[in-house]
Amino acid sequence: MLDHLSLMVLHALLIAVFFSFLWKRDRQERWRYFLKVFGALVVGAIVLGWVMYPFPRG
Amino acid sequence: MPEQGKPVGMSLPLLVLLGLAWFVPGLGHVLLGRRLRAVVFFVVIVVAFLAGLRLDGELIVPHAGDPLSYLAAIASVGNGLLFFIARGVGLGQGVVTSAAYEFGNTFLLTAGMMNLLVVLDTHDIATGKKDW
Repeated sequence: MLDHLSLMVLHALLIAVFFSFLWKRDRQERWRYFLKVFGALVVGAIVLGWVMYPFPRG
Repeated sequence: MPEQGKPVGMSLPLLVLLGLAWFVPGLGHVLLGRRLRAVVFFVVIVVAFLAGLRLDGELIVPHAGDPLSYLAAIASVGNGLLFFIARGVGLGQGVVTSAAYEFGNTFLLTAGMMNLLVVLDTHDIATGKKDW
């Protein structure tokens, strides 16, 4: 089974492809938007994970 | 807009077109002549849906006394035909003890919401609010 990071990346990939085709018309616009959304989702999730790191659940 | 003639979808009643767009992901765009986008939407939604099932996700149906389940059910049923096929063959029951359960739910709900957005996009194209 895929690990959590791979699943998050797969999810980000699908979302980014979907919205770049839903909202952008030209190929170049789509690529730019795809990279922006994909990067924001993946990097954002990793950053958020580190920000939460000092706060254990217990 | 396609170069030759009027797309089949333009001659269909709007509700029928939207129903078809919901039932099969991407079909609305095919009928409106947007084939590339139709293929992309179909592949993305089907991959997300299959990943959700593979990850022990649940195709949520409404549970009495649980208001959030109604919202989740809208997203689940948003998958159209995929939802009915999976339920019909007994998939998507959800394995709450699985480590991937929440991931599976996320993929399934996301797929349904994306399909509903595709239906709205079909509406915008069919009514002329979007010309591409």
